[in-house]
Amino acid sequence: MSRLRRIRSEAVASGKAFLRRRTAVFFTFFFPAIIILIFGALIQTTGGSGGLFTEPPGYYVSGYLAVVVLFTPLSRVGSEVARHRAGSRFEKLATTPLRRWEWLLGQTLVNVAIIGVAAAGILLLAVAVAGASVAPSLLLVPYVGFGVALFCGLGAVLGRVADSQDGVVAASNGVALPLLFLSETFVPPSLLPDWLPLWLSPLTYFSRGVRAATYRPVETLATGRVPGGVAPAEGNLLVLAALAVGFFLAGAAALPRTD
Amino acid sequence: MVALDGVSLSVRPGEGYGLIGPNGAGKTTLVRALTGTTDADGELELLGERPAAADPQRVGLLPQEFGPPERLTARELVAYYGGLYDSARSVASVLDDVGLADSADTVYEALSGGQKRRACLATALVNDPDVLFLDEPTTGIDPQGRRAVWRLVDALADAGATVVVTTHYMEEAERLCDRVGLLAGGQLVAEGPPADLVSAHGGAPRVEVRADDEAAARDALAGAGYAFVPDERRLVVDDVAPEDVGRVASALADAGVDYEGLLWRQPDLEEVYLQLTGQAVGASGEPREVGDA
Repeated sequence: MSRLRRIRSEAVASGKAFLRRRTAVFFTFFFPAIIILIFGALIQTTGGSGGLFTEPPGYYVSGYLAVVVLFTPLSRVGSEVARHRAGSRFEKLATTPLRRWEWLLGQTLVNVAIIGVAAAGILLLAVAVAGASVAPSLLLVPYVGFGVALFCGLGAVLGRVADSQDGVVAASNGVALPLLFLSETFVPPSLLPDWLPLWLSPLTYFSRGVRAATYRPVETLATGRVPGGVAPAEGNLLVLAALAVGFFLAGAAALPRTD
Repeated sequence: MVALDGVSLSVRPGEGYGLIGPNGAGKTTLVRALTGTTDADGELELLGERPAAADPQRVGLLPQEFGPPERLTARELVAYYGGLYDSARSVASVLDDVGLADSADTVYEALSGGQKRRACLATALVNDPDVLFLDEPTTGIDPQGRRAVWRLVDALADAGATVVVTTHYMEEAERLCDRVGLLAGGQLVAEGPPADLVSAHGGAPRVEVRADDEAAARDALAGAGYAFVPDERRLVVDDVAPEDVGRVASALADAGVDYEGLLWRQPDLEEVYLQLTGQAVGASGEPREVGDA
């Protein structure tokens, strides 16, 4: 009970602090929305014509979700670590019963809640604005949960490595941007060089798995097969979960005791 | 770089202990070593355990330059930190103790400087600690806020808490602490009750002369056989008993030197620190070598 009390206290405080940063809240939801509006409504996809954004709209839903699963926890937790360091908060927390992994779990739970809401909004927008066809799947819940946990851990590592909040923002953008486009999100692997090790990106398992769970092209429904080259939803989820545990533990270990 | 070297001290239960020195003397490093937030070679015990293994329920810490989540109200801040402990005092009673009951629902960033520091102090009191570490608790706050913090620390000491305070304000240490340790360059140069240290190392009482023409005043008093305290930015005549203040005034008058005031005072911890380390401590905590302008 004490542990739950500590994690709850951390999560509640973190959630309140986030919700009162109105700019952060606005852009957390605005950023993925603008991505959908640009790629889904303005550029539009033209299925089967070749080139970028030529898959059916449903193909890109996992990419839209990847935007929030990747960017928000990475920058939020990284910035939070930087803020904690600047304010000697870790030094104080080190003298309380709160363990470092409990702190990170509290932050992660807040991110899961925020990104869960954002993901629901993205799905609605993708269907309503981009005309995407999305197969409902409960697997989206663990995908978002593990994805967020993974990038919260990575954000904690970046927060430890960078020497300021500005440094965290630059580092998280530097990490997130290549990950976003080289993880089978918006650019199909067929358009990328063969030698590019897409399997190295943890986001690849998120996008592959979410696509496997939610994307049902006509030919797939007819044959009952998973689209070619995309691993089964459950398999990618297991890989993502294992990576999430690893990154989470690495992030917790990276949190400083003194600032 | 060695931040602390050969420091040996113990703080008794219920004691108020001050660690004194300028910035860079090693005060914060010592607090971090004692609270287990940094590693240090040597033997350290907190409540009979290695510092990192001490029961956190019994320890409170106010770090130097502590900045809690600024978008939470004072009430939420205390509730947050209270929620990290197995048991905690009621939020209302803690806010009442630090004088923030009326500002409980004001967000931290909207509080005044003194109120902010008291809110921070509240987060260190919420678990009702047996040992409280306050690292520069009054730096950067106004005199009124400083006195409010002093009253709080007094109340804690009266209630039997062990309080370890670091400060570069000598007056604060004299006011709050049963014993003080003087740190310089990472070494403990003296330790004891403030009055004992002043008696042993503070030197004689002195008179501060405030004159427009300080050089003329210095010449006049030197001619009358007076010596001066070195490392002072003001003209300070050494070894003047209270009954001899009139003689100083006469020496100045005889030489035709006008003065605005003569201030007699007993030596204090500042003089002790100066005598023992050759350094004075500036108002913002920076060390100042003897003879610096």
